[in-house]
Order: sequence, then C-alpha cells, then structure tokens
Amino acid sequence: MNGNTTETEKLQDLSSLGIPEEELFSRVESDKLAAEKITAPRYSYWHSVFRVFFRKKINIVILGLLAVIVVFAYIYPMFSNYDRFSSVLTEGGKHLTPEKAMELHPDDAKIHWILGSGGVGESTFDAIWTGSRISLSLAFICAIINMAIGVVLGAVWGFSKRFDLIMQEVYNIIGNVPYILLISVIVMLLSASFWSLVFALTVTGWLGIAYFIRTQVVIIRDREYNLASRCLGTSIFRIAMKNILPFMVSVIVTLAATEIPSYISYEVFLSYIGLTMSDISLGKLIGTAQPSMFTPGMQLEFWAPVAIASIITIVLYVVGQNLGDASDPRTHM
Amino acid sequence: MTKYLLRRLLHGLISVIIVVAIVMLLIYSLTDREKIFGSDPLFSKKSSNVRTTYKYEQWEKYGYLDYVTYNDYLASLTRSGEITEEERASAVEIAPTAKVTVKNGERFVDIFAPDDSPKASEYIRKFADAYQSKGYTIVRLNADYYSAKTQQLANGGKQVLFAYKDVPLISRMFKYFTRIFWVDNIHYVNSEIDIGERKLSFTLHDPAYTGPDGKVKFSPAITGNGTLHKYLVYCDNRFPFIHQNLLNIRMGTSYSVNKDVDVFKTMTVSQGAQVKAFTYYPTGFSEISADDLHSATYQENSRELNPIAIERYTDDYTNTDLRLSSKSKIGFSFVIGIISTVISYFLGVPLGILIAKKKDTVIDNLGTIYVIFIIAVPSLAYIFMFQAIGRSIGLPSTLDVNNESWKMYVLPIVSLSLPSIAGLMKWLRRYMIDQMNSDYVRFARSGGLSEGEIFTKHILKNAAIPIIHGIPGSVLGSLVGGIITERVYLVPGTGNLLTNAINANDNGVIVGLTLFYSLLSIVSLILGDILMGAVDPRISFTSKAR
Repeated sequence: MNGNTTETEKLQDLSSLGIPEEELFSRVESDKLAAEKITAPRYSYWHSVFRVFFRKKINIVILGLLAVIVVFAYIYPMFSNYDRFSSVLTEGGKHLTPEKAMELHPDDAKIHWILGSGGVGESTFDAIWTGSRISLSLAFICAIINMAIGVVLGAVWGFSKRFDLIMQEVYNIIGNVPYILLISVIVMLLSASFWSLVFALTVTGWLGIAYFIRTQVVIIRDREYNLASRCLGTSIFRIAMKNILPFMVSVIVTLAATEIPSYISYEVFLSYIGLTMSDISLGKLIGTAQPSMFTPGMQLEFWAPVAIASIITIVLYVVGQNLGDASDPRTHM
Repeated sequence: MTKYLLRRLLHGLISVIIVVAIVMLLIYSLTDREKIFGSDPLFSKKSSNVRTTYKYEQWEKYGYLDYVTYNDYLASLTRSGEITEEERASAVEIAPTAKVTVKNGERFVDIFAPDDSPKASEYIRKFADAYQSKGYTIVRLNADYYSAKTQQLANGGKQVLFAYKDVPLISRMFKYFTRIFWVDNIHYVNSEIDIGERKLSFTLHDPAYTGPDGKVKFSPAITGNGTLHKYLVYCDNRFPFIHQNLLNIRMGTSYSVNKDVDVFKTMTVSQGAQVKAFTYYPTGFSEISADDLHSATYQENSRELNPIAIERYTDDYTNTDLRLSSKSKIGFSFVIGIISTVISYFLGVPLGILIAKKKDTVIDNLGTIYVIFIIAVPSLAYIFMFQAIGRSIGLPSTLDVNNESWKMYVLPIVSLSLPSIAGLMKWLRRYMIDQMNSDYVRFARSGGLSEGEIFTKHILKNAAIPIIHGIPGSVLGSLVGGIITERVYLVPGTGNLLTNAINANDNGVIVGLTLFYSLLSIVSLILGDILMGAVDPRISFTSKAR
C-alpha cells in the first residue's frame, strides 16, 4: 500500500517537471511488419574483416610499409628509367660506396645513389626496385594462377569421390618429386625467362594447394549443418558457395600469405644456382653480387637486395597472415 | 600390416618409375641435346665433320640414339663373312662430294654421289636400304676443304656417311630400369678377348693385403677373372670391413660432372687428399702409393699401352681408384644432415612446447617472430646472413675437404638446423594449442587432473604424433642434403651435386638423382607411417580395424 502511494507520488512529481505525457508513455499499436525486424547491428562480413584487421595497430604500420614497397617497385621505376648499362662507360663508376657515387654523378638526384653503384656502374637502388617489380609480379602472377587452379580443383577434389581416386594417385606421384628439382629441371629445359619461370612454378605448384583445400573441404563437407542442408535439397554448388566457401576464405588468405613469399624465395634460389632470367630480378641481383659479399666497400651491393627481399617477403607474409586471421569469422566477436 | 606395407611399397615404386619417366621425357625429348656439350673440353677441340660425328658418338654412348657409320656396317659384313677384306677396302672409300640441296635454309647432302666407285655405290645402296627400312635417317657429309682449289682437307673434314635413329622413351626406360642392378659376372669381358680361364676363385690370403715385409696376411677374398672387378668380395680395415663389388648399382652415367662415372659411385666414393700407403702390386713390385688395389677393374689392353701397368700388374685389371682421406658425397651430406636433425629435434620440440605453454606471452611472441622470419625470408638470404655472422666470429665459411676440422661443420649444421627448428616449433605449437582446446582436455581438467599431468600425458602425446611421422623423413632427408646450404658452404655433398648437374646439363646425373630423391621420399613416408602406427595404438594398417 505504502509503495503504491509513493509511486503515484513520483508520477505526479514527473508531471510536475513539465514533460508532456506522450513522451513518458504512449500506447503502441501491434505492428506485424515491425515485429519481423531484427534489431541487432547489421553484420557485414568484409566490414568486420577490416574492423578486426585495423584493430591491431601493427597492421597499419605493416600496411604502410607494403604501400611504400608497392610505390617503389611499381611507380618509382617509371621515373628512374633504369638502364643497367647506362653508366658502363663512366670511368671509375663501378662498385662505389654511396658517397663516392654521389660525387661522381653530381647532376643526378641523390636518391639514385644512396646505395652506391654495382658491377657495371649501375645504381644499386634503382636496380633493386626494378628487380623487385619483376620479382613481385612473378610472385603475384604465380600465386594467382596457383591459387585459382588449386582452390577450384581442390574443392572439386574434396567433393567428388571419383575425382579423389584419380587425384590421389596424381598427388602421390608428383608429390614424390622434390619441388625444387622439378622447377630447376623445367627452367633448365625452357631456358630461364619470366614466363618460363611462371610456367615452372605453376605447372605442379597448384597441386599442393589443391591437396590442402581438399583436406579442408573434406573436414567441413560432412558436418551436420551441411548434411541438413543437403537433406533440404540444396544443390551441391550452393552448398559449396554458401556453406563452405565462407569457411575457406581465411584458409585461402593464410595460404596465399605463405605462397607469395615462397615464389620470391624460389626465384632467388633459381638465380643463385645459375638459372637466371634475362630480366633483372631480386634473385639475379643477389646472385650476381654474391662475390662482393665480403669485399669491403662493396658489401652494400649484395646486402641491400638481400635486405629488401627479406623485408618484402616478411611484409607480405605478415599482412597475409593477419588478414587471414581477420577473415576468420570466429574473430569477429 | 605386411600386406598393406607391401602394397604401399609397390605403389611407391610404380610412382618412382612414372616420376623418372616424366623427368626422362622432359630431359631427353624436350631439351636441346647440343647443350650437353657446353662443358665438354673435347668437343670444343674438334672441328668440321669430326665434330659432328663426335656428337653422334656421344649421343649414342649416353643413350639418345643408335648410330651406325658406313665403315662399321662394312666391317660387320666382313666379320660375318659376307664380303671379303678386299671388297670392303674397295667399297669403303666414298666420293668426297655429293650433290647438295638447300631446303628451308638447311643443307641436305644426297646419299648417293655420281663420283662414287661402282663398288661403293652398290654398298651405299645396301647400307641405305638396310637402315632406312629400320627407320634410321641416313646422313652424308661432304668433305670440308680449306680451299676448293688445293683440295686440302680441313682439320677433321673427311667425308662421312652414317645412319642414326632416336631411341624411343619406352626402350630407354626399359634399359635404364633393367640396368639399375647389375651382377658382375665372368662373361663381362668381351668374349673375343682371350684372358685365360674365366672363373671365380676364393682365397684366404688376399695378395693385395700383403704387408711391407712381403708376408701375406689372413684375409679372405673372392676374385674373378673375366669379371669387371677383380675383387668381388674382400675384407679390409675400413667400415663395414667386408666389402663387395658383386652387386653394382647404376643410376645413370655422368657426362660432365664426373665424366663417365655412374651417379651412385660419384655419390659414394671418397673424396679429398690421397692417402699413401705401402702397396704391394701383383707382380711383386711395391711402392708407397694411393692406389686401392681392391677397386681394380678391367681395362682392355691397358698393359700394352701403359708401361707403368706392366711393371705392376699381371693381368689387365689395372684401373684402380685412389685411396682418399675424406668422406663421400653422401657421407658429407649425411654427417651434416644427421647432426642438424638431432639438434633440431632436441631444440625444436622443447621450444615448441615452451611457446605453446606460454601462449600469448613475450616468449610466444619472440618464438613467433623467429618462425615468421624463417618462413618468410628467402632461405638463401638467411643462410648468407648466418655465413656472414659466422665469418665475423672466426668460423670457416666454406668447407675444405683436404683439411678437415670440426669447426667447418658448424655453419652448415647451424644453417640446416635453424630452419627445421622453426618448422618444428610452428607445427608443435599449432598441434598443442589445437589439443588444448579440445573436449577431452576440458574433461580431464574437470576430472581433477593437474595441469602438468594433462600436458605431458594427454596434450603432448597427441600433439607429438604428427611430429613423429616426420622423423624418418628428416633422417633420410639428410642423405639428400641441403641444396642451398651445400652450395653456399661449398660442401661436396649430394645436394651440391644436383645443382652442379643442372648447371652443366648433365642429364644422366639429373635422372639418377631424381631416382635417388624419389626413392628416399617414398621410403621415408612409409617408415613414417610405420613409426606412427607403432606409437599410436589407434592407428592400424589392417583393413579389418579400419
């Protein structure tokens, strides 16, 4: 009794505040359309991916580094007009330290010579970025081809039992050849050029990716929700696209993160054992500058491309890994 | 179990054959076969027609094609008694020039020349008919003159006539695989050569083992006459003390890396400086020499051609290897590989457990940075870094075969083990964290087991199974050696052999190494499965339990 009176008193108090009555309480008619509305915040997959990705501050730094690398590898060479033999006739222009190279070429912008000059008097800095462009392009093209073939075939491989029998044999056979042996032999046969390198790296490179994807598909394929989906009559294609692919995005991105740097590594390795491209690439720079590795005053020629190759691969790897983590829906909570 | 493993092995062998077939197809059918002469010093010395015939001779020797010259054809006819020696002599001289037609920029020389003597014409026709019907291509090369006026032949410019036919892949493969194992026998030496009674004999006192005082020591051996090796089974003081030359393995003959020597021998024979010791030759002659008499093989007419051999040997088994001080290629790769494997398991497993246990702490982050570094950075780059660091603290940065010390092994071992430590850490951490989140661990915890017990008895046991699967692979993989590491540190091992062969277009070696590598990878996969079945009772290879 007592409580009731106090509450009415409070209500009276509120009305004394001067707020109109409809703002306090109003009667709402039942609305069937509004009842269907979901009030949770809208979920967008890619929006969440980037939200999670940028939540880590380190990712912004790494992404910035990646941007710098891309600018230097793809835009800088347009302005630097790198020509390997442009300074070959300049007397005393070979194997110079940065200071001496800048003295020798006073008319050029300093940026060309901040890493000194190389074996034929070329600018190491320009050579590195021209080489990076080739190496990066090679890595990206190989990754795109291998991932595309690997993911599509891997998905089919995981779904079709008959295809599985054939592919299992193919995988057992090709998987027995050391990859390095195979690519070396192919590059040796085709005589190294950009596209023969692409061919060597992709001719069996997709197989490992396809096998990995197959295993993932097999794991997810027979989960209860897919069984239920199939019982309801969903087509295999729809199950693949709507039920399984979203699970695979993070796996695919993580895989790409390890694949892309590995192609750069293979290119460096092939150049080192003498299967060099005619185009300048990071591997070729490292291979040709190897004799100057321990020569005082010439070390920059060798260690600069090594360092840039390492930075590029690490940046690509970390970006890929973190993007892979972020694209896993389980981290979106 | 046995049935399953046998089936796996058979399956593996079939896939090895297919792999070798693929590589052979790539190498023999799709490459430019002129490339093999790139590093052949003899080739560059030859010129004109002799250079062409030399190419065909070498291609025949290395199994590319069948090659028959007109002279060989006539000689074989003489041997079989179809023609007399005089007929042969009159038919063998072919005219220096025949008509040349140019088609699509290529020169074709007619097989028949109007200037050929009637006898020569007749036999050239027979030769052409006989071989063309078998699918051979007949080639005639005109004499090459310095100047047409003086008719002076250029060096090696004599006219030639020959036939060749490519060996098809199938028969090449058949030959290759049937040749892999070869048992030395008394019919090895050409049956036309008289080398006395062909037999195997057993002796308890091996003459090659005679001491400096001329006394023969007790040492059983089986020697042969008519065989390739003189000593088929013998004993000596080197590991494994009893040696045999009876069963020989041939995996492909080298063209340029180690001329005319089989890959298997190239990999297994010792290297380095000569070890000279008192040697008591069969004739009784003795001197301080590095000749290893136990390795003597037959060389036709060697004593007639070589006065040094007459002084030392009583028969034509004069071709000996040298006793060398250092390990073989496989030996180097294996020593470096096995030590680094042991190190990486002893360090990688505890470190992997540590970073898994300390998940999301500073230690875990440091470990992850290390793993990222190894995975992402090109392996060549960090091996160079290790080399530079090692050099700066005074370690030898290359391997010297003639002057061994333990120090020179440090850097190759470190370069091989640091990456595999990273691999082990990465996978062990992943597996352990997967296990930590699984239901049975939660159940064990709720059942009151201590954290330590859960870790060692449940998590570690389950997480170690995939790691154990890889152990045979790493052990056998050490036979292969690190391709990059061995090249950077100039290790004379099997990994280095492959890159050398690729650089020199040495096809025999590449095929041989492919066989070796793929055999090893199959055996290690099967061994891994067996080992995994042994440690994990849940895994069974019998079809019933599956």
